[in-house]
Amino acid sequence: MSSLFDRLFSGGRSASAGSKEDAKSRLKILLVHDQVDLTPSQMNAMKAEILEVIARYCEVDREHVDVRLEKADNGISVVSSVPVRRVTTRTAEAT
Amino acid sequence: MSECIVVTSGKGGVGKTTTTANLGVALALLGKKVVVVDADIGLRNLDVILGLENRIVYDLVHVIEGECRLRQALIKDKRVDTLFLLPAAQTRDKNAVSPEAMRTLVAQLKADFDYVIIDCPAGIEQGFKNAIAGADRAIIVVTPEVSAIRDADRIIGLVEAAELPEPQLIVNRFRAKMVQRGDMMNKDDILEILAIPLIGMVPDHEDVIVSANRGMPAVFDEKSVVGEAYRRIARRVTGEQDVPFVALEEPDTFWSVMKRWIGLAPSKEVAS
Repeated sequence: MSSLFDRLFSGGRSASAGSKEDAKSRLKILLVHDQVDLTPSQMNAMKAEILEVIARYCEVDREHVDVRLEKADNGISVVSSVPVRRVTTRTAEAT
Repeated sequence: MSECIVVTSGKGGVGKTTTTANLGVALALLGKKVVVVDADIGLRNLDVILGLENRIVYDLVHVIEGECRLRQALIKDKRVDTLFLLPAAQTRDKNAVSPEAMRTLVAQLKADFDYVIIDCPAGIEQGFKNAIAGADRAIIVVTPEVSAIRDADRIIGLVEAAELPEPQLIVNRFRAKMVQRGDMMNKDDILEILAIPLIGMVPDHEDVIVSANRGMPAVFDEKSVVGEAYRRIARRVTGEQDVPFVALEEPDTFWSVMKRWIGLAPSKEVAS
């Protein structure tokens, strides 16, 4: 409803409102990558290897994997979110 | 005790020279003895922002190369008698100066002045290294944009690597209206990313262009909001505590009051 009001009284500018969130989230990723000097292909390789290890034990939902570098209190962390469909059975240990 | 402060940013065009000029004038108006130094060799501009371009005879490179004495190169501002400018050379390049030469020069200036304010060139190469060489601390100017903040982050790292104390931040060209509609990062957004102490917020205002046209920094105009922002920064620089930030909200209009009253607009905590 706010947007209707804005459109009526401020010439419809509200379409772009909230772009600061884009700026912030892009910056957070950008600044970390500026520091570590890891190329996108190295990032992808790291992500693939992490997944490979996890996939030995779990069935990974590859569509929703998120591996990223984030600024932590003292330095940089690799933060990953790897959703798992199910943990594979004990027989996997044998292979 | 005298102090040398370098005004830097990484990115060009964010307001380093305007900041140096206004901060210099504001400190001088507080009665401090101030010299502003243009370290942008080959692309000098502090002289024109201060309206002193017609009075240059000698410059920083002449002093460093021993062609004149330091006192001969200092230009005294006739509007505030405790303000001086040491201009950059226009026909030389950054390689005419070295960090060692700058350290020596700054030490000489500190013997005579309360504040030595250095206008750093854009970039992170030789000119930046020269400009920070003699500094006791750094003020970083940023605009609320991705590119400026990214470069500021890099500069913060380089300032810390040079073993200067934690730098302080000036957020320049702040637009309250854009912040209120969520299209510009506010003070807290920027501080969350850069994580250094804030020493000033300067609104984006026509005054800056007008004062540059005239060679008369906004600080000289008692009614200017930009001038007021810099006067407060100067007080914080001298160590005065709890100087409130200038009100950066847009003045209320009939519609803004109505919208807030019926709950369609956020309350006015956004800006300052």
